Amino acid sequence: MAKGDNKKQLLRVEKIYKSFGSNLVLQGIDMELNEGEVLALIGGNGAGKSTLMKIIMGIYQSDKGDIYVNNKHVHLAKASSALAAGIYMVPQEPMLFPNMTVEENITMGFKGKQSELRNKIIELMSSIGWELDLDRNASSLSIAEQTLVEIIRGLLREAKILILDEPTSALTFDEVESFFKVVKDLRDKGIGIIYITHRLPEVFEIGTHVSIMCDGVITLNGPVSEFNREMLIQGLLPSNMEHKEKIDITVEAIDYKNVKPVFELKDFSGYGFNNISFNVYPGEILGLAGVVGAGRTELVRTIFGCDRTLSGTVILDGKDITGLKTNAVLKAGINLVPEDRHNHGLFKISSVCENITASMLDRKETGGLLLDKKVEQDIANKYVNDFRIKVTCNEQLAGSLSGGNQQKVVIGKSLSTKPKLVILDEPTRGIDAAARMDVYRIIHKLRSQGVAILLISSDLEEIVELADRSITVFNGSINAEFTREESIMDNLTKASFGIYKGKEANQ
Amino acid sequence: MSLLKKLSRARWLSSLIFLIVLFTITGLVNPTFFTYSNILSAFNSSVVFTLLAVGISFVIMTGEIDVSIGATMGLAAAIAGTIAQRGGSVVEMLIYAVLLGLVVGAINGVGVAIIKVPSLIFTLGIMGIVRGFVYVYSDGRTVENFAGAFTNLGSKELFADITVYYSMVIVIVLVAHILLTRTRNGKNFIAVGDNIGGATLIGIPVVWTKISAYMLCGVFAAVAGVAFASKYGQVNIVAGSGYEMSAIAACVLGGVSLSGGLGSALGAAIGAVIMSSISRMLVFIGLSSDYDNTIKGIMLITIVVADALMHTRSVEKARRARLAARASNHNSAEVGSSDEE
Repeated sequence: MAKGDNKKQLLRVEKIYKSFGSNLVLQGIDMELNEGEVLALIGGNGAGKSTLMKIIMGIYQSDKGDIYVNNKHVHLAKASSALAAGIYMVPQEPMLFPNMTVEENITMGFKGKQSELRNKIIELMSSIGWELDLDRNASSLSIAEQTLVEIIRGLLREAKILILDEPTSALTFDEVESFFKVVKDLRDKGIGIIYITHRLPEVFEIGTHVSIMCDGVITLNGPVSEFNREMLIQGLLPSNMEHKEKIDITVEAIDYKNVKPVFELKDFSGYGFNNISFNVYPGEILGLAGVVGAGRTELVRTIFGCDRTLSGTVILDGKDITGLKTNAVLKAGINLVPEDRHNHGLFKISSVCENITASMLDRKETGGLLLDKKVEQDIANKYVNDFRIKVTCNEQLAGSLSGGNQQKVVIGKSLSTKPKLVILDEPTRGIDAAARMDVYRIIHKLRSQGVAILLISSDLEEIVELADRSITVFNGSINAEFTREESIMDNLTKASFGIYKGKEANQ
Repeated sequence: MSLLKKLSRARWLSSLIFLIVLFTITGLVNPTFFTYSNILSAFNSSVVFTLLAVGISFVIMTGEIDVSIGATMGLAAAIAGTIAQRGGSVVEMLIYAVLLGLVVGAINGVGVAIIKVPSLIFTLGIMGIVRGFVYVYSDGRTVENFAGAFTNLGSKELFADITVYYSMVIVIVLVAHILLTRTRNGKNFIAVGDNIGGATLIGIPVVWTKISAYMLCGVFAAVAGVAFASKYGQVNIVAGSGYEMSAIAACVLGGVSLSGGLGSALGAAIGAVIMSSISRMLVFIGLSSDYDNTIKGIMLITIVVADALMHTRSVEKARRARLAARASNHNSAEVGSSDEE
C-alpha cells in the first residue's frame, strides 16, 4: 500500500541543522510530506520535534538547511510567511484569544469581508460536520472545541500543510474519536498533516507515514504499513548505547522484606494525575519515568506542597504530611532538586556559599539573630569539597559557574537540610559527561547514607543505570513497575509510551 | 436577542450604570446637584481626562502601561502656551502636539516592544525625562498671559450647551471606539493583549502593534495638553503630574482590563467622566475635595484587585481543567469498561 510518486509533494525539508548554544538539537533532518498524508512524528522528550516544527512555522531559523513548499525553495523568516506559504500549526495548548468570540478568533488577522468570512466558516464547519456557536466566548470552550477552532482557523487560511502538536493530549476518549474522524476527512481532502504524538496506537490508527526522531536525527522513516509496534520501539531507543561510561560502585541489594518504607504515597490524586501509590525505602533509588505531559512534574510539585492535593495520603517516616505547605514539607524532611535549575533552583547573583545555605537559614546551627558567617562557610566548604564543585572561592557568583557545577550547588542546597527523601527532577539535564558522573557519584553516596531518593528522568538510561526499582507514569497514572533486573530500556520505553503489556503494576 | 447578547458583553455598559448610580446618590444627598447644567458640565469638564484615558486605553489593551502621559501632556501644554502667548493658531499647536506625541510614543514603544524593558519602568524613566524638559522649556516659570481667544475656545458652546471641545472629544471617542472594535488593525491591539503567543502564531505584527499603541497614546496625551492649556489659561511646570493615575483609573473603571485584551475606548471615556466628576460630587455631598485623590486611589486599587483575582482564578481553572482532562484520559482510554467506584 505504498503511497507514492503520483501524489503532489507539499513540503520537503533538507538537512536542517539547529543548535542552541553548544547544544546540537537538530542534526541534519530530512523530511517529506505529500498530499493526503498523515505523517506521524514520534520521539522522546527533547528529541527536537518541536524545534523542527517551530523552524517550519518560521518562529525559529535553522542554522543550515533548506525548506521547500510545493517544490519551491522558501525562506521562512517569520510566522506570517509560513502562514502565507500555506502552513498552519495547531499548538499543543491551543492559543486562542479567550476574551473574543469563536468567530473573532477564527477571522483574527485574516483579510476579507466579515460577512463573507462568516459564511465561509459555516460552510467549512458543515463540510466536516461540526456545529459550534460562532458567538460564544472562547473562554467557555472545552479543550477539544478549542482545538477544533484552531483547525478551522488553519483551514480558512486554506492551509495545505497542517501541523498538529499532540492534539489529543488533553482530549477525552469520546472527543478523540470524533477528532480522528475530522483528521481522516482532512486527509481525504488532500491536506498534508504532520501529526506529533506520544501515543503509538494513534500512529497506526491515523498515520499513513511515520518518522521517529531521536536526539536530533530521524532514526526511522516510511509508510506505516511497513512497521509494527516493536519496530517503532526499536527506533525510539538511542542508537549509540556505548557512550556513557559506567561507574563501578557495587550496590548492595535492598532487603525489602525487613525494611520499612520511609515514604509512602497512597491513592494520591491531584491536578494532572490520579490514584498514584508507591513507596520509597531508605537507601533506595526509585526511578520515575514517563513522557512529558504524563504528570510527573505535577506529581512532584503536589508532593512538595506547590499545588493542591485532591485526595490520598502522603506519609513520611510514619507521619502524615498530606497537603502541607512547601515550608512544612521541607521541614518534615523532603527536598526537591527542581527540573529547571535556572528558574526554580539557583540564586544566580548570590555566591556559592549563600546558595548552599539558603534552605537552612532558619535553623539554629546557622546562628541566632544574626547569621554566623563561619558556620555558613564551613557548610559550603563541605559541599564544595565533597561534590568537587569547581569554584575559585566560595564567594563566586553561582550564575558564573558551568552548568554541571551549578547543578551540584543546587543539589548541595537541597541536601544541606538533611532530608529523609530527596526528589531529583532531571538531575543531569544539560550538563556534560564528567559532571554527570560526579552527580551519579553524589547520588550513590546519598543512597549509601540511607537517604531515600526519587529519581525522575527523561533519560531512560539514567534510570536503568541508577534505579533500584522503577515505575512509569502514563496519562497521569502509574502503569508499570519494574525491579532492577526488569528495568531495561525496552520495558521502560514501552511503558512510557503506554504499550507495555507485561505484568500488571500494583503496589 | 442578538442585540441583548451584544449589550451584555459590553463592559462599558456597567460603567455607565455605575456613573448613573453615582450621580443619583449625589443627587439624593443634595438635590441641587440635579440640574441640567451641572450634569452637562460634568461631561464638559472631563475633556482632558477623556483624551488621556482613551489614549492610554490602547496601551493597556495590549497588556502594557504608560505612566509618562502626564509629563507628555505637561510639555505639550507648555508648548501650546508659548504659541498662544505670541498669538499663534490652534492648528499650529496641534501640529506640534501630534509630533511630540509621536516621538515620545515611538521611544516608549521601542523601549517596551523591542528592547523589552518592563513597561512601567521604561515609561517611568521617560516620564522623568519629559518632565525635565518641561522645566527647561518653560525656564521653571508658569506659562501664562495667552493672547487672543485661545482660552475662550474651550467654553464656547456648539449646540445644546455642549462645548466645542467636548463635541470634538465625542467624535474622537467614537472614531477610536469603531477603530478598536470594527477594524482589523484595531482588533490587533486587543489580540496582542489577550494572547500574545497566539497573536504571533497567526502572523499579527506584535512589535509594531505595541509601538503604534504607544504612539497613539502619546498623541492623545499631547492633544490633551493643548486642551489643558486652553481650559486653564496657564500652564504650571507640574501641569499634568498625577494625571496618569487618574487616566489609568478611568480606564479600569471603564472596563479596560489591566491584564490586557479587554475593554473599549467608549468605556475609558465613561470612566474619565466618573474620575473628573468625583471632586465635584464630593463638594455637593459636603465633603472636602481633598479626599479626591484618596478616593480615586481606593477605586483604582479595588477594581484592579478584583480584576486580578478573577484573572488568576480563570487562568488557574483553565490549567486545572487541562490537567484533569489529560489524567482522566487514561481511565477511559486504557481501562475502558472498568468503572471507577
